Amino acid sequence: MKHAATLGFLAIIAFTPFAHAQAQDGQPAESAACALLKRKGDAGATACYEKLLRSNNPAAVAEAMWALGNFRGANDAFRATVKLREKDPAPRTRWARMYLDHWQRADAADLLKEALELKENYAPALVAMAIMSSENYEADAIKFAEKALAADPKYLEAQEVIAQVHLEDNNPEKAAEAAKKALQMSEESLDGYAILGTIDLLNDKKDTPWFDRALKYNPKYGEAYATAAHFFIINRRYEEGIELYKKALALDPSLNHARSDLGVNLMRLGQEDEARKHLEQCYSGGYQSPETVNSLRLLDSYKDYVTFKTPTTVLRLHKKEATLLRPYFQSEFDRALATYEKKYKFKLQKPVQIEVYPNHEDFAVRTVSMPGLGALGVTFGYMVAMDSPSGRKPGAWHWASTMWHELSHVYVLEMTNHRVPRWFTEGMAVYEETATSPDWGDRLDPGSIAAIKGKKLLPIAELDRGFIHPTGPEQVTVSYFQGGKICNFIAEKWGWEKLLAMIHDFGANMTTVAVIEKELQLKPEEFDKQFLAWLEPQTKKTVDGFDDWRKSIRGVATLAKETKWDEVISIGLGLRDVYPDYVEAGNAYEFLAQAYKAKGDTAKQTAELERYSKIGGRDPELLKQLAVLQTEQGRKKDAASTLERLNLIYLEDEPAHQQLGNLYLDLKEGPGAVREFQALLAGKPVDVAGAHYGLAQAFVLAMRNDDAREEVVSALEAAPGFKPAQKLLLELSGKE
Amino acid sequence: MGPTQEVGCDLRRAFLTALLLASVAVAGRADTFYLTVAGLGGEQEYEQRFTGWAKEIEQVLKNEPNAKHEVLMGPQATKANIQAKLADFAKNSKADDNVILFLIGHGSFDEVGYKFNIPGLDVTANDLGAMLDKIPAHIAVINMSSASGAMLSAVQKPKRVVVTATKSGTEKNATVFSRYFIEALRDPAADGDKNEIITVLEAFRYAEAKTTKFYEENKRIATEHPLIEDTGKGEGVKAPTAENGQGLAAQRFAVLHTGSAAAVAKDPQKQALLKQKEEVEAKIDDLKYRKAALSLQEYRQQLQKLLVDLAKTQEALDK
Repeated sequence: MKHAATLGFLAIIAFTPFAHAQAQDGQPAESAACALLKRKGDAGATACYEKLLRSNNPAAVAEAMWALGNFRGANDAFRATVKLREKDPAPRTRWARMYLDHWQRADAADLLKEALELKENYAPALVAMAIMSSENYEADAIKFAEKALAADPKYLEAQEVIAQVHLEDNNPEKAAEAAKKALQMSEESLDGYAILGTIDLLNDKKDTPWFDRALKYNPKYGEAYATAAHFFIINRRYEEGIELYKKALALDPSLNHARSDLGVNLMRLGQEDEARKHLEQCYSGGYQSPETVNSLRLLDSYKDYVTFKTPTTVLRLHKKEATLLRPYFQSEFDRALATYEKKYKFKLQKPVQIEVYPNHEDFAVRTVSMPGLGALGVTFGYMVAMDSPSGRKPGAWHWASTMWHELSHVYVLEMTNHRVPRWFTEGMAVYEETATSPDWGDRLDPGSIAAIKGKKLLPIAELDRGFIHPTGPEQVTVSYFQGGKICNFIAEKWGWEKLLAMIHDFGANMTTVAVIEKELQLKPEEFDKQFLAWLEPQTKKTVDGFDDWRKSIRGVATLAKETKWDEVISIGLGLRDVYPDYVEAGNAYEFLAQAYKAKGDTAKQTAELERYSKIGGRDPELLKQLAVLQTEQGRKKDAASTLERLNLIYLEDEPAHQQLGNLYLDLKEGPGAVREFQALLAGKPVDVAGAHYGLAQAFVLAMRNDDAREEVVSALEAAPGFKPAQKLLLELSGKE
Repeated sequence: MGPTQEVGCDLRRAFLTALLLASVAVAGRADTFYLTVAGLGGEQEYEQRFTGWAKEIEQVLKNEPNAKHEVLMGPQATKANIQAKLADFAKNSKADDNVILFLIGHGSFDEVGYKFNIPGLDVTANDLGAMLDKIPAHIAVINMSSASGAMLSAVQKPKRVVVTATKSGTEKNATVFSRYFIEALRDPAADGDKNEIITVLEAFRYAEAKTTKFYEENKRIATEHPLIEDTGKGEGVKAPTAENGQGLAAQRFAVLHTGSAAAVAKDPQKQALLKQKEEVEAKIDDLKYRKAALSLQEYRQQLQKLLVDLAKTQEALDK
């Protein structure tokens, strides 16, 4: 289904008044005849195309070259065809289909735009647009397909795209209806069979008659299983998806896109040797899709990683930051698993693996072909991949919150045997972030405010659409917010046990509507009504005041620049309370703290920064500033807490580790001090001697004198004249 | 005799004798002449930033002993005034004195060469080279402006330390290096060898590391690559080492004294202990040089013993 471009040719050839007869999809009649053979799995298809290479019709030559894998030659032939038939949208559309087959989406889009300019309702171009949108999980795929059907009601491929998109939206009823329509249009709708068969398998039917019917038409139609595998993967049922890809390849070993997907998904589950074998086979066979190439590159980069194992965890970190990250990541990893095991009343069957990528692009490879997932972390069964704190700007995100989010997925996916709608597992994961600590998780964002104001939150029965086929990137964010709030609402009104019961219901393959009706005794529409009524008072002040807030907060920035501190305070206080969740750049807390500082009111400056931290502010500079103020006020424990909070946001901050290490020394907390000075040293500080000396002091507190002596010698090795270290060395030597 | 301050310890044995001599010479302390020039900001934000940094340097150097600090900023930062101040230094400084020139602001670069942007006629790299050549003292030029890498060839001389915020004239964006170089003068962490003296090399290393980190952390392509050069030939380097031969003069060139190390050295009653201290320091340096030839355990044992000796000597000196 994914590569319908090469397989969706129609059997019925409709001749047109162009110089050469064309099939319904715009290809020449002679190549359509070859396509028909290919579609039936006829071994004569190759010979048919080879014969076409000698055709005097460049469009037919282009089709033949494309089918035989000569993309470069096909490209030239299509270019020649377009030159000959400048006013004909067909060659442009076919050329675009070839580009889609060759992962050149932007080139395809340009050609399709030109084709549609030549003929506004040209159905083959509209279908190509629908396929392109569908492959990118864009919301307008169905719109294009329906437009194509309006222009040509017998356009089978358009109907097949509609079926696929409905199934991606987790709407099997609509998908089945659309697939059956496709079969009414043609009994040879292979994708129609594939969709219906997939629905059966997703419903845990051991076998399906639909695949048999497709195989009757084409005994080598592995694409049916590849289609099913695609849906299992996007439903996070990776192991089953992998088995289906293997079935697809057993039927048709030339299905390179299926082989590549198999490799990618084996890799996701940690089966790296087998993954590499398949990916290399694709690559050497000329199938060099971005997914294939990126995955191979990522596999190559694993030599730069180190793995740490415990009975329940596997932590893979990049060598360059493993020493720094390990204590913090391992600690949160263990804490999250212990918490969830108790909370979900579920014991995982094997260790969970977390991979941490300092290069966001490496992490991004993990998200290839995965729709709607946040860009910070991704879960594949027992495998979690996430950005490293160093992979993004300081303070841009909360790594611990992300880790807990992903580990919640591990539990929910395992408890449901991966049979859970996306809205629910994401909602649970978002809910867990703030349940762990109220200052974690995402705040109410402008996109969600706009969605609430414009009444664009989706009904619960359709919320999956916001993840899979969003109308734009902002709808994904809004859907995360909404999913999280829904779980919040359920937990608050019906209790945590209801959420647990819902997990088990989804595991029993119940739909969202059925689960809501069973557990909450509500129709989905009534649930939506109650949810909105619950949400409104929490957000009303912000939603109503948002437009004014947006205009005025800029003014406060200007006032701060002009050092008009009294005005900053008088206006800033009001704005802060209109939108207290806004903690990003240019927030009211920062301006107010600046103003209080300028006026010498340290108490208010501190209070403002504490408010900022409590509500989820993440700017390392502001948090360090707060810790300094708290320290100056003798509140060393509070200062340490502030910096501990920063550690869960950003770990590469040398001064913060030093500050916290010194605080722990003052507080006589040896282990904490040891961890902080070790972190400081791991970051290769400018002041190496100072860091070793701090660690030596920490070891003394932790009653580890031998380690202390080693560290003080290291300090003095870097700076022999360092007097405090000399003093400590003499003390430690005296104890020998 | 070279500059008169303490030394670091990461160069080859070939330098050790010279370094020891330098540390012995602490007693005869020379004068230091500083000139800080904050050039044209162009925009109010930059004007404020540049003058703010110049004032920060002034503040930091306020208590520096045996020092004279001149600051030119705003309309005062003209070519004539720069020339006059440097001419004054040329007249009043001796061969074993130190002169440090801080340039803060925007620089520019065209086919002709580097220019430091100031009110009126800009001052070129060649102008600066000619002015500095008249000064008998040891010189360090800390050019923190954009495009400053382009001035190197015009001002470099043997034993003259030149620090530039950028590696070439094509790095034209406003720099963050300035902020970190000045921060180094306030942050005790910059004093890598903990001898209470921040040398040009220490400040450079501190600022270079912070500048690199700034771009890494903010996921921005680095638009400045600070360099240091103190041999008078070739290009500047990012990381001075014994291998590239850079950093020896910079390591001995004090920018700021943060403690009382020099006072101790003036006490005639402590000369014997000082000598003993220097001998132990020499042994430590020698041991470090031989580190690769020893097992780690052997090295650490010997090092610890020497460090204990040194600590005891220092304890006696401090009594």
